[in-house]
Amino acid sequence: MNNELLRVEELKVWFDIKKGLFSKPVYVKAVDGVNFTLNAGESISLVGESGSGKTTLGKTILRLYKPTGGKIIFDGKDISDSDLKNMKWYRRETGLVQQDPFGALPPHFTIYRILEEPLIIHSIGNKSERRDMIYQALEEVRLTPVEDFAPKYPHMLSGGQMQRVVIARALIMRPKLVIADEPVSMLDASVRVEILELLRSMQDRHKTSLIYITHDLATVRMFTHWIFIMYAGEIVERALTKELLSNPLHPYTNALLNAIPEPNPENRNILKEVPPGEPPDLVNPPLGCRFAPRCSQAKDICSKERPPELEIKDKHWVRCWLYS
Amino acid sequence: MENNNLLKVQNFSLSYRTRKGDVEAVNNISFELRKGETLAIVGESGCGKSSLARGLIRLFPRNIKRVDGKIILDGRDVLSLDEETFRKEVRWREISMVFQGAMNSLNPVLRVVFQVAEPLMVHFGMDRNSAFKRAKEILGLVGISSAFAERYPFELSGGMKQRVVIAMALITNPKLLLLDEPTSALDIITQENIMNLLKMLKKELNLTYIFITHDIALTSELADRMAVMYAGEIVEISPVEDFYRNPSHMYTKLLLDSVPTLRKDKNLKSIPGSPPSLIDPPSGCRFHPRCPSVMDICKVKEPPFYKIKEGHFAKCYLNEGR
Repeated sequence: MNNELLRVEELKVWFDIKKGLFSKPVYVKAVDGVNFTLNAGESISLVGESGSGKTTLGKTILRLYKPTGGKIIFDGKDISDSDLKNMKWYRRETGLVQQDPFGALPPHFTIYRILEEPLIIHSIGNKSERRDMIYQALEEVRLTPVEDFAPKYPHMLSGGQMQRVVIARALIMRPKLVIADEPVSMLDASVRVEILELLRSMQDRHKTSLIYITHDLATVRMFTHWIFIMYAGEIVERALTKELLSNPLHPYTNALLNAIPEPNPENRNILKEVPPGEPPDLVNPPLGCRFAPRCSQAKDICSKERPPELEIKDKHWVRCWLYS
Repeated sequence: MENNNLLKVQNFSLSYRTRKGDVEAVNNISFELRKGETLAIVGESGCGKSSLARGLIRLFPRNIKRVDGKIILDGRDVLSLDEETFRKEVRWREISMVFQGAMNSLNPVLRVVFQVAEPLMVHFGMDRNSAFKRAKEILGLVGISSAFAERYPFELSGGMKQRVVIAMALITNPKLLLLDEPTSALDIITQENIMNLLKMLKKELNLTYIFITHDIALTSELADRMAVMYAGEIVEISPVEDFYRNPSHMYTKLLLDSVPTLRKDKNLKSIPGSPPSLIDPPSGCRFHPRCPSVMDICKVKEPPFYKIKEGHFAKCYLNEGR
């Protein structure tokens, strides 16, 4: 498609945990062979357990990590190998909403200064133009009256308000791509919905593309166009949200959906079926399908050969031998 | 009072001293708990649910100002006991607790079996061999094989460490187990594994739980009854079926509306504003500044508990005359 914004091809991110002069290096294969494309204005939920590589994938797309292999193509430009010195333009086109608002804001800066910083770095506008932009950004995240909030320091705000500042900062440059890494996991249930709604409305308004990283499948339902399910460094299934939720194919996706508690008082009387064990060690991941050791439907081939990623239906990819 | 009541909490209050003033973390809470029953306590962070749990097992922080009320366990008021008697006879023997994030507080230099066996040696004066034997039995019960019992905490995964912590709480055969966010740091599949374990233990050992969490969807996995806390008070207490079908306090209703569900289409709503400071809580109903159907009386007079039906009470004027 011609409005493609981001294309990721066979992306690999391996961290070396042991490097010796003579010994063979040991790698943690945090992300291992990820493919997808993202169109302008679309959004993805990247769902997986901790250690599945979802945060690493997000940070690598932002080029905070250097990929070990594969390609990241943003707006037609291959950025997977570019020198960090020539990446300033990319920082302007992308934004990050961190998980922990308490740690993401510098405590000795006022909110005004926090939002002005990126504008100064990219030399945008003069003083009064910047002021208008900051006030507008604060208004958009509904930190009003803006005159009251601008001179405050982060510690004077509640967690939800801090997260609004983080969102305002990520969006003030009008980036084309925003990555939100568990933006609500540190917040209270009653403000979570509000922050997610805010993020979605901002994304709608500015036609930003969004990658929403989360472990909480229950929040993604009405939030993004796509859902990608990650397990042990791979995307095992990806499809449009409705399709994936109503027609999950991969056994891991099914297990994940099954494990989500539904508010139903009958639950307390039944034991749920849950796959045994834990995700594999990514230093020595299983040879074949990485979910095979925990999978109840595993066949012989599953433990021997890695399943290919196939488009089973229109826009529904799955990496599983059951469908090959 | 029924005979099978295990725990009766009456007018329990707790306040802390801080530089800004006294914080009324728990205010005038009363409830009863039958043997084998699970009460879930839900609320936002800062509503006092953890303070309540720590109060029940009498682990107070140093800046405690005032403790009031009665905690009657098996017919005995354990709040009036002196600290030494409580430590010897009640804490860990009768009431145990699984703390929030406890799996990260295992001692890294001791084998897990020793850490599980320790209360037996300390509280019951058991010798090392029989204590270890019993510890391995309990570890087996929570799904940790004896090979893993000999390992150190760093060799176990998060879910296994949480199982170890549950074994530690169960080793003394307590009557009441307090679970403070027992799965909040775990992944969703591991969380379900632990919930399955807790359900199984409840059935096999006829345990009584107080389950504290902010995750409302999760409570349905364990709770028989629900208590909703707001700003240090219980605002509604009900059987779990009524909690979902007939929430009767405005706060409970809004809380339920904010729970995202996977399988049903639902318009999520959030609750405007944030919980009040407990140094100077709002007059009348503590929820009135955030309540969409606030009336004049809510602002001035504290609402009484209205009885909705047997076992279901809500502290909200909207139930007047219903």
